[in-house]
Amino acid sequence: MSSYTLGTTHVDDTFAEAFPMRYARVLITAATGAWALEAARSMTGFATSVIGCKCEAAIERTLAADETPDGRPGIAVLLFAMDREGVGKRVLERVGQSVMTCPTTACFDGLPGAEPTAALGGSLRYFGDGFQASKVIARQRFWRIPVMEGEFLVAESVGIGRGVGGGNLVIGAGDEDAALAAAQSAADAMRGEGIALPFPGGIVRSGSKVGALTSKSMPASTNHQMAPTLRAQVNDSLVPDGVGALFEIVIDGVSEEAVRESMRRGLHAAAAAGATHVTAANFGGKLGEFHFPLDALRDPP
Amino acid sequence: MTLTLTLRTEPPARVLAAPLTPEQLCGRSAAAVTALDVCCGGETAALGDLFEVSGAGAGEELVLVGDLRRFDGIGAGMSRGEIEVRGDVGAWAGAEMSGGVLRIIGDAGARLGAAYPGARVGMTGGEIVVTGDAGEEAGAGMRRGLVAVGGNTASGAGLRMLAGTVIALGSIGAEAGLGNKRGSLVSGRPVQPLPCYALATRFRPPALRLQLLRLRELGLTVGDELVDGSWGRWSGDRTELARGEILIFQEDEEEGT
Repeated sequence: MSSYTLGTTHVDDTFAEAFPMRYARVLITAATGAWALEAARSMTGFATSVIGCKCEAAIERTLAADETPDGRPGIAVLLFAMDREGVGKRVLERVGQSVMTCPTTACFDGLPGAEPTAALGGSLRYFGDGFQASKVIARQRFWRIPVMEGEFLVAESVGIGRGVGGGNLVIGAGDEDAALAAAQSAADAMRGEGIALPFPGGIVRSGSKVGALTSKSMPASTNHQMAPTLRAQVNDSLVPDGVGALFEIVIDGVSEEAVRESMRRGLHAAAAAGATHVTAANFGGKLGEFHFPLDALRDPP
Repeated sequence: MTLTLTLRTEPPARVLAAPLTPEQLCGRSAAAVTALDVCCGGETAALGDLFEVSGAGAGEELVLVGDLRRFDGIGAGMSRGEIEVRGDVGAWAGAEMSGGVLRIIGDAGARLGAAYPGARVGMTGGEIVVTGDAGEEAGAGMRRGLVAVGGNTASGAGLRMLAGTVIALGSIGAEAGLGNKRGSLVSGRPVQPLPCYALATRFRPPALRLQLLRLRELGLTVGDELVDGSWGRWSGDRTELARGEILIFQEDEEEGT
């Protein structure tokens, strides 16, 4: 495969392949930033891949008190799924189990005015067992659900937007430590407004391929071509010479542009942090609507 | 450009000012507005005789300037847009309104945002903000929406209200919330609720916090102690559903006293 170099980093002339997804942005506030973070971490737990978790979610960013609807510290969470019904169901489940349960929190729609919408408080209110009450504040309806602490305040609904899921970078270096350091630098640079990195710390070590060599029923299995320990065992290894470990960063974003710029930041950060190779995963270009050629990311952010 | 009506002189009798809403006036030229009639006592009077009219309403914002205590029903029935009154207003301001914002920089008379006599339902939406005080029975019969005053409301606030919110950053006054079904009354100063209300607890109401921040956006001065503080929740009217509430601000007792 042809490639270009950024400093000493070889960048494959390939592309990341991504898919249209729907997403919601949920704003969680709490009495302290620490409690908002607890709720956000719980809500975005076990949400790494739609294949196994039915949604992909991550903390988008921390919100200062003057950026939130109720003037308390908060966290913006992005949750992606394949369709709007999926987004609605997953947001409802996760806010119900992870935000309503968390001390001092309140929950707001981070896409006010967006169409379509999915019910949030409008469904969660039934937990109030008839004691719930609604308030329309500044033309938005909220539900007050009585709980043991006092009241949980939650927006009636959340707006659903059209986003892009599955942008990615694969970052390699001579050994595990060097590759991880480069991947961590990339992940730190890639986070930002409109971006969710759904895997632990933003990084996935078990990249997958579609299907399996040994089973017809498995939807996915290990990407053996990119596993360094199999380089001398399989005939189709793609692990570049000199690379001892690879990590993938999967990016979901609110727009094609957001994903592209996040990849650009990540590519240059990885190169600066010692990555020897950067490539991207795709399915031959036939499955995904969005293609992100690494060649288009040469210019620094 | 905003349509502005500035009072020329005090009218000889009370004026029924219900036509003074954005939907009635905005979109008309200043000349057309000048020619409109309103009831003044038993007579009719042209708006141009009462007000100096300037600007024209391409938008939906109406500004009324002057001592309008003889004008009843300003903003009554309005469904959208915004009215700002720079001066005091008479009774029935915002009566049965269903949407929009009525901002009064001054005092309001009786039955602010209320239902008309014989009607069960008053205001069904929108926001009324008064920087000063309001008269008797503010928010009577309210079903939805917000009436907020920076000062005090006189007696009978929230009479037979169905839902919605009446906020007095000062005192909500005597006999508030009689016959209240699901509405919220809020008093920034201590007040003794009617016997048909019972104290539930003291807590920080998250919805009220949001409403108080909204009042700041609408131009009221709301102290941090109200936004961050604890409020007593009294449930009532217990002769009705007992699903309504009066929230009363509780100043922290000083330690060691």
